[in-house]
Amino acid sequence: MEKFVELEHISKAYNNQQVLRDISLTIDQKQVIAILGGNGTGKSTILRLIAGLEKPTSGKVIYPNKKIRIGYVPERFPKDIRFTPSEYLCYIGTITGISKARLRKNIPTFLRRFQLEKLDNHRINELSKGNTQKVGIIQAIMQRPELLILDEPISGLDAQAQQELLLVIKELKERGSTILLTYHESNIFEDIVETTYYIYNGLLSKTKMKNEKDSLKLIEVKRLDDSQVKQWEEVLHMKEMDNGLLLYVHANYSDKVLSRILALQGSINQVTTVDNDGEWERE
Amino acid sequence: MKELIKFSLHDYLRSHKYFPPISTFFVLVFVQYTYTPNPIIDSYAVTALIIYVISSWLCISVLSLDPPVQRQIMILHAKGRNRYYISKLLSVWLIAVLLTVYSFVYPIIFGMFAEPVTLTIGFVSFANHILLATLGITVASLFSEALMESPVNSYGGLALTIVLSIAALGIHGALPAALKNITWVIPPAVNTQQSLMNWSGENLGDLSIFPFIWIIIYSILLLILFLKLAKC
Repeated sequence: MEKFVELEHISKAYNNQQVLRDISLTIDQKQVIAILGGNGTGKSTILRLIAGLEKPTSGKVIYPNKKIRIGYVPERFPKDIRFTPSEYLCYIGTITGISKARLRKNIPTFLRRFQLEKLDNHRINELSKGNTQKVGIIQAIMQRPELLILDEPISGLDAQAQQELLLVIKELKERGSTILLTYHESNIFEDIVETTYYIYNGLLSKTKMKNEKDSLKLIEVKRLDDSQVKQWEEVLHMKEMDNGLLLYVHANYSDKVLSRILALQGSINQVTTVDNDGEWERE
Repeated sequence: MKELIKFSLHDYLRSHKYFPPISTFFVLVFVQYTYTPNPIIDSYAVTALIIYVISSWLCISVLSLDPPVQRQIMILHAKGRNRYYISKLLSVWLIAVLLTVYSFVYPIIFGMFAEPVTLTIGFVSFANHILLATLGITVASLFSEALMESPVNSYGGLALTIVLSIAALGIHGALPAALKNITWVIPPAVNTQQSLMNWSGENLGDLSIFPFIWIIIYSILLLILFLKLAKC
């Protein structure tokens, strides 16, 4: 199976605020992958990193095939576009390198499939949010992308357009494309998604947390230098106490942190599960 | 790249954002030739400076056309940031070439000069317009929305730099000898003017060429810097 994109130990921070931490992921051919998580967990950031639209703070994004065609549907497609859907798609298509003959044939078909043909005499900045989003979807799929990245694609779409999008995803997958998407408050993709990843506290996991409140461990440790702990990305919060440290760690990574403490000959007093009331959630 | 340029120009036309810089340009050229006759080299030197200011204004307005998400989509379709930004700068350059043609032809057609424009003077003056347009575009690119989020910093920073570059000879004269070299970092917008003022216009060999070459080098350096910063 052909490898499309490889993320190696990716971290991303904005203004010193860590959004993604040490994420490694391989995206192969012919897959439908979902990345799920709450608002502000870094879903859109990881999609933009995979699309190559942003650079990671550390780590590498590798494209084994440099000429891979990537289609990207942003969460909010820009509404202030001064072209009609046809004009815009024609420009986008020719910029991508699609022949004018193919565009003349394909654009009306896509407009029909997404019920935009009657609105083609209006500029995009005059269309509703849902119809603008449809143009955003078409610009990404008309080049038959090998990797299609969809960031909350159904936001504002009517039921018919949602079904059409599902159909397009299935068609692309049959042709060997990989589809990477994020969504929430929807189950229409559940049948087609093969692999689901969850983002919590900037970390990517295949396991869904049943309850985020149960997901933190409090480690009480002695004889450990706090300057070393500060470099551990898995530690969400650190408090100094009389002669030791209190470390709040995501439950998934507590084993990793505990083994590091032992390797540094720190003394673990106790490990307890604590409620995560969102105090250390990153927005 | 040709399609991206067409897209940018078409979008700019529909945005109507071209109106303030272009109308200012026509007014300034009209005012420049209010009285006749005019000296050829000096008049063209002034309109070249007008082109410098207007090109920088055009550049900053063209680079602000695409909202950030649209920019990301275009970069993805164009398969590279450099290709996207170079297309945008070329679009501005093409507009500046049209304005150059106008400012070159207008005084000839309407008989604003006392003498006919010789081939040598015409060539040098036209080249000066194009070089200053290029300089204005590359200077403005560093203050564009691609690198600066705040329009106040963007337009304010550009206005200050343009004023400094026009006042460069005065600044050079006022500075003590030990600090005069600082003026090398100021965009060389008036260096060619000085060279042109000292030129009789009869022989190309009498013209000091270095200021023209320095504009090319300076513009290339700014372009490289812009593309590097835009990638971050």
